[in-house]
Amino acid sequence: MSMVIAEHLHKTFGRFVAVRDASFSIDKGEIVGFLGPNGAGKTTTMKMITGYLPPTAGTASIAGFDVLKNPLEARRHMGYMPENVPLYDDMRVYEYLEYRARLKGICGSSVRQQIAFVIDRCGLEPKRKNMISTLSKGYRQRVGLADALLGNPDLLILDEPTNGLDPNQIRQIRELVRSLAEDHTVILSTHILSEVEQICNKVIIIDQGDIKAADTPANLTHGLRAAGRVSIEFKGDLECVVKELEAFAPVKKVIHEETLPGGWHRLIVRAEPGTDTREKAAAIIASHSFPMRHIYRHIPNLEDVFVEMTRRD
Amino acid sequence: MDESTDTVKRTRSYLATLRTIYGKELKAFLGTPFGWVVLACTMGLQGFCLQAVLQIMSKATGEGVMYYMLSNVNFWFYFIFIFPLITMRSLAEEERQGTLEGLLTAPVTTAQIVLGKYFAAYTFYLILWLPMLLYPWMSDLGNMYTSMRYGIDPEGRIVYRLADWVGPYCILALSGAFFIALGILCSAMTRSQIIAGILSTCLMITYYFMGRVTELWGEFPAAPAFHYLSITEQISAFSRGLIDTRPVVLYLTLTILTLALTKRVVDYRRWRR
Repeated sequence: MSMVIAEHLHKTFGRFVAVRDASFSIDKGEIVGFLGPNGAGKTTTMKMITGYLPPTAGTASIAGFDVLKNPLEARRHMGYMPENVPLYDDMRVYEYLEYRARLKGICGSSVRQQIAFVIDRCGLEPKRKNMISTLSKGYRQRVGLADALLGNPDLLILDEPTNGLDPNQIRQIRELVRSLAEDHTVILSTHILSEVEQICNKVIIIDQGDIKAADTPANLTHGLRAAGRVSIEFKGDLECVVKELEAFAPVKKVIHEETLPGGWHRLIVRAEPGTDTREKAAAIIASHSFPMRHIYRHIPNLEDVFVEMTRRD
Repeated sequence: MDESTDTVKRTRSYLATLRTIYGKELKAFLGTPFGWVVLACTMGLQGFCLQAVLQIMSKATGEGVMYYMLSNVNFWFYFIFIFPLITMRSLAEEERQGTLEGLLTAPVTTAQIVLGKYFAAYTFYLILWLPMLLYPWMSDLGNMYTSMRYGIDPEGRIVYRLADWVGPYCILALSGAFFIALGILCSAMTRSQIIAGILSTCLMITYYFMGRVTELWGEFPAAPAFHYLSITEQISAFSRGLIDTRPVVLYLTLTILTLALTKRVVDYRRWRR
């Protein structure tokens, strides 16, 4: 069952097109990462899904409720943490969470229960009585996350949840998001690629308002140019080796990158995606009895996908 | 039967959310130094006015204390500035901080937000006038002191009727309902508190002078409209104890229209961006 359906979402600010005809659907239980350079339209797309920013054209729905025609129902299924986590600075953490819980329609004894649950889950216990204005960035982020978790919504929309945090805090938030994934659908935006690689099972890449790709990380890296790249370091007759390598079928191009001290040559072999040329290359070099000290097949990651899809040249 | 219980349930949850916003906003007035500073300033100025009025009253008689207080020129000096002070923060600050986004992505309607903020500001405004309720009691104390000191002496007694207090309170509550709504509207139009404050002060002053047009231009065909709007005339009628229904209708209508417009403005600003 689809948790979020976006159909032809389009947003213009004056003449500037922020998001162009974005369509995608997100299934229940998926963790989706929104990737894109700064200003690509990630936040705008997320805001349109929440219903805060009405699209110029197109529709979005959460759990089957249109975010503009049936906003209250759609919002009941969603917890949203905006970018930079706006909070009321003159409130205390507990007071703020209580206010938000009541706004979300939680009442009676379940208010305390829910707050205790999110405070525990987000590690806010030591700061529950502090003023929000005195909190560090990491704790503010956690208060925002706790707020989004109140009422146990089916869908969590987190806009840059790890922005401005230190590596330890990033790790904590990542673990938290991963633990949430068991019973929530999560949409998060970030530009930390390793993070997405580790926790997301679907990636949506946006650039200049266009959706470039929406797939699993494995499928995305599969068909990449960088996929079959092999780097080799050997000593010996350069021209002869290059010639023999280029004669081999899946190899597209052999580049001599540099000559290292001691007469070692470094070659980059570009081949068809999904092929492995290591064995053949090793055999060619061995047949001439040249010494070889390094052979490595590049494992494509999301960074390659990201660079390939969003670079301007 | 089923449908009616459903309606009751929905109304109850609507009001519960409204009460949550109202409570939070009222707490922002009474739980911070800001509200108490405004309250102290207003009380100080009321005291200053009262002192000036008592001097006038020692020469002229015939009307109650409140009549002289509200028709005194000092009154307008602080009355106009109460409204921007109370309201300029409400929606402008939410927008500047970005917390409006959190509010409008929670299951809350724009109307609930506007109404919650409005009623909180209005309640605080009514609280500002509570000290005035002490005046009759103070008059009694004063009378007691005079009679004890000088024996029964009708000349020096402060005479008042119930209407002298009910009338002024009515007009303050009625016109205040509209001016608070006006202030909230200004606050919804911008993300800067200062601009909201200046805008609502300007609108207040414009409204005040609309009522004085007839003093400048004399009577002309459209003059009754200006008399109808004149807050100075309304105040002088009400503070004599004359409760007129026309201002009641005027201010209730204007309040509802302004609040409806405020809701539109909040929604429009979201659509436009």
